[in-house]
Amino acid sequence: MAKMTIGEALRNALDIKLYEDERVLVFGEDVGKKGGVFTITEGLQDKYGEERVFDTPLDEDGILGMAAGLALYGLRPVAEIQFIDFIWPGFDVLISDIAKERFRSGGQFSVPLVIRSPYGGGVKGGLYHSQSPEAIFAHIPGLKVIIPSNPYDAKGLLISAIEDEDPVIFLEPKKIYFAFKEEVPEEKYTVPIGKAKILKEGKDLTIISYGYIIHECKKAVEELEKEGISCELIDLRTIIPFDGETILNSVAKTGRVMIVVEAPRINSFASELSAFISERAIFYLDAPIVRVTGWDTPFPYILEHLYMPSQKRILRAAKKLLEGGF
Amino acid sequence: MEIRTFEIEPFTKEPYRLLDEEGKPLFDFEPEDFGLSKEFLLRLYKDILLTREIDRMGWILVRQGKAYFYISIGGQETSHVASLYALEKDDLVMPFYRTVPSLHVRGAKVEEIFAQIMGRASDPLKGRQMPGHFGKKDLNIFVLGSPVGLGHPVAMGIAMGIKYKKENKVIISYGGEGSTSEGHFHSAMNFASVFGLPLIIFIVNNQYAISVPRVKQTASETIAIKAKAYGAEGYYIDGNDALITYLVTKKCVNEARLNKRPFLIEAETYRFDPHSSADDDKKYRSREELEMWKRKDGLLRLKKYLEYLGIWNEEKDEFLKREIEEKLNKIVEEVEKIPFPEPRDMFYEVYVKTPWYLEEEYLELKKEMEG
Ligand SMILES: Cc1ncc(C[n+]2csc(CCOP(=O)(O)OP(=O)(O)O)c2C)c(N)n1
Repeated sequence: MAKMTIGEALRNALDIKLYEDERVLVFGEDVGKKGGVFTITEGLQDKYGEERVFDTPLDEDGILGMAAGLALYGLRPVAEIQFIDFIWPGFDVLISDIAKERFRSGGQFSVPLVIRSPYGGGVKGGLYHSQSPEAIFAHIPGLKVIIPSNPYDAKGLLISAIEDEDPVIFLEPKKIYFAFKEEVPEEKYTVPIGKAKILKEGKDLTIISYGYIIHECKKAVEELEKEGISCELIDLRTIIPFDGETILNSVAKTGRVMIVVEAPRINSFASELSAFISERAIFYLDAPIVRVTGWDTPFPYILEHLYMPSQKRILRAAKKLLEGGF
Repeated sequence: MEIRTFEIEPFTKEPYRLLDEEGKPLFDFEPEDFGLSKEFLLRLYKDILLTREIDRMGWILVRQGKAYFYISIGGQETSHVASLYALEKDDLVMPFYRTVPSLHVRGAKVEEIFAQIMGRASDPLKGRQMPGHFGKKDLNIFVLGSPVGLGHPVAMGIAMGIKYKKENKVIISYGGEGSTSEGHFHSAMNFASVFGLPLIIFIVNNQYAISVPRVKQTASETIAIKAKAYGAEGYYIDGNDALITYLVTKKCVNEARLNKRPFLIEAETYRFDPHSSADDDKKYRSREELEMWKRKDGLLRLKKYLEYLGIWNEEKDEFLKREIEEKLNKIVEEVEKIPFPEPRDMFYEVYVKTPWYLEEEYLELKKEMEG
């Protein structure tokens, strides 16, 4: 097995799908010669030609419109939005067309497409290159939303996304594109959409997270273990549709829940998870559900290290939660 | 300064220029023929040179780890500085991320420009945005965000405000040729023409949007011609020719001010460095192409013209460069002593009055920092 970073695993997934399915087209700003600003599509244009891997003008409306039309017409577009913070000019196509196509046509039409985009903070990107808007997409019925946190899942989930019959927003945590390597099979495999992964079993506390911040959670969990506190760590992986069963089983076991996301707290996906657990499992809870999140401010530039939930912030919240201090 | 009548046609296929690549006049004229004094041209040159040196320092700061990121202007300073010169003091500027090193022309202190690049507390934006963003209310420079093209419709709205208030001002909105692909650009041109607004959209066409060349950005013959579809005028000029850039911008500014109508200017130029300190331009453009454009450099061209006029020489140039370098080194040294913004600062100015939950979140952060 090869060792790959998340970035390499994603490139490998695109390579496999481009190779085996002629309907797959990859496009966006700078994805051709440059291979994308994060080099995820590097080398693919050389291998598959400009007809299948190509640059578009600087126009997200055009990119999403093209993806929608291609998908409607039987192709499998994988569009890249350079940073998720720049998707807004294409939002009308996304909300009004892409998300509603299947439902509005009585199931006659569908738009099986993937919108890949780097998201999240940690690379000194400031207000407009760091946001985590997954909750905004999650609020639009008709879209699926995926966020991997490691190379194996990144590859398997991207292949699943391209093969999925629904439109998928595939968010890639940019801070860890090339941060570490893991064993990834070179051949094709898939990771199912809609299934969370239990990274560690535990009995005192359930921590739910996804994306880069799961790695801060891991560090906090190790610290807590040293103090004899046993945590169950769940990597949600798919935001919509999310894996309610795995969450509820875990809550029933531990009775305490902490949800950790990078996004601002108000109306974050942590809020949705918290409401879901309250509705379905309130009698299992020994303490209030806690959300550890970014602050409810725009994402700052210089102070980003104080904005994003850190191991320290997670640890503090966990202790308070275990002491019943909330 | 009163500029003389300058008759040119919109929508040309070749860019207008007055100087050739060697800085020689393309026909027999004196700067005074256009109402340009020699002192004025010297001042212009010095400001373009200062801009280039600020840009050089920007790259050095990244290399030294004193800035996390830098977005360059090298090669295209002439178009920025000469066009900014065409504005009156009360006119308004909607910058874009490459305009920053030239904004001293509008009164931004060089100290402030470096504070922005280095994210210090004295940055007018308080270290909240990445390098390449600058704005200051008292200088009539608006603050931009990073999304490409977003400034154009907002500037259009400001132009509507100018018209409504019956003011005698114009606004200039800067962008790269990539920004003309966004719907924002088209909305701005359309509204500005329909409502008759004093807006100049100034497109710095440096041939690339990151790696995407101009021919893959738009299939239209020129960017300037796009104005026609909206019933506005568009001028295609050599952005490395300071004289034509100044004169054409001045003409558009004057007419926009007087007749309340928009103009589109396309200034053709080239960026010498990668898109940003995070880019590698070798992947998408050849060194020959770069060298070819370096010979067309606007700074060099103006310098040669000043030499041709007999008002500048190599010795003076070297002296000025050294002087600027020393000045910038000192400024950077001073800026480095200024602290970064306080953690508390993150929670202010999200709203005029900070809501209770942000106060709470700040206390949460404080506890996190304490232990
Ligand atoms: C809406 C949006 N999409 C993508 C980006 C990422 N991006 C930043 S600069 C840039 C290229 C801009 O090219 P151009 O407008 O020609 O200006 P230049 O950088 O060449 O001066 C891109 C794609 C962005 N900032 N905003």
